[in-house]
Amino acid sequence: MATDEKPGRISLRAIDPQTGQESEVLISHARMHAVARRSLGHARECGELVPHTLQHPTAIFEGLRRDEDEDKRAEGWFCYCSKPACSYDENGVEQPPYPKQVFLVFVNRDKVAYNWRWAKSDQTDDRLPENHEQRFERRAL
Amino acid sequence: MTIMSNEEFAKRMMLMARPANEFKPEATYDADGDCIEFLAKPDPFYEERIDDLVTVYYSQKTNEVIGSMVKGVSKLAKRLAEKLPGFAITIEDGRIRLEHLFLAGIWLQEGKPPAIRILAYKKLAEIAERASVDVPEAMCDAR
Repeated sequence: MATDEKPGRISLRAIDPQTGQESEVLISHARMHAVARRSLGHARECGELVPHTLQHPTAIFEGLRRDEDEDKRAEGWFCYCSKPACSYDENGVEQPPYPKQVFLVFVNRDKVAYNWRWAKSDQTDDRLPENHEQRFERRAL
Repeated sequence: MTIMSNEEFAKRMMLMARPANEFKPEATYDADGDCIEFLAKPDPFYEERIDDLVTVYYSQKTNEVIGSMVKGVSKLAKRLAEKLPGFAITIEDGRIRLEHLFLAGIWLQEGKPPAIRILAYKKLAEIAERASVDVPEAMCDAR
C-alpha cells in the first residue's frame, strides 16, 4: 500500500472514541524506533498489539480523574484498552496472553499514540483495567 | 493522509527491531506524551501507577522493577524551578541524572507519602543510578 505520511509520523486505523466509527491515530517514527531497538518482543508488541487495541478496544477511557490540576495538554486524552489473544517474550516469540492483564494504548489530544503497556485487569471484569473507575474521568466507549 | 495497513506497520517495526541481547538501558523523552520513559531491561513489562507523576514498570518474567514513566515533564520542570531551585546544581554538562529526578519526585511530595510509594521511588533511583542513565537538560527545561 502506498503511504502518504506526515513528516515523522504514520497513520493507523482506529476506532473513534466519540462516534465508534473508523478513524485514524498517528504514531511517530521516533517512538517506533525507540521501542523497536529495545527487543524483538517490544517491536512485535508495538507492531501488532497497538493496532489491535486501537481497532478492537474492549473500552476507551478519557481523562485522568486524580490529576486535579491537570494542564491543557491533557484535554482529549484517551486510553484504549484491549484483551489481546497473545503476548510476546523479549525474543519476539508469541506466548499466551498474561492472565488478569489488559493492554493499554494512550492517545493524546492530537490523536497521537504515545505509550502502550500491559496493566492489571479489574477483578470483576477482566476486559477492563484495574481501578478504572478511580483512574479515569469517564468511559468514552 | 493514507492509513498504513496493519501488515505493513508490523513489517516496518520488525525491520527496525534489535535483539534483546543488544539492549542498553536508556531514558527517552516523548514530546507527544510529555513524558520520560526509562527502561533498564528488555523484558516485557506491566505497569503500576503509583501517583500522578510516576508509573512503575515491572518485569513480566520476574516481577522486579525494571523501569518507569515520568508523566507531565513540563509541569514537573515548572514545579522544580519554583519549589526546588537548588535542583539546578545537579545539572552537569547539560545532562540531568535520572536518579536525581526520582529523588526530586520524592521531595516534591505534599504531606507524608505512603511508605510503598517512597520505596518505589527509592528503587527507581537505585536502578537508574546503577544503569547510569541521564537525560538532556533541554528535555526538561529545568533551570
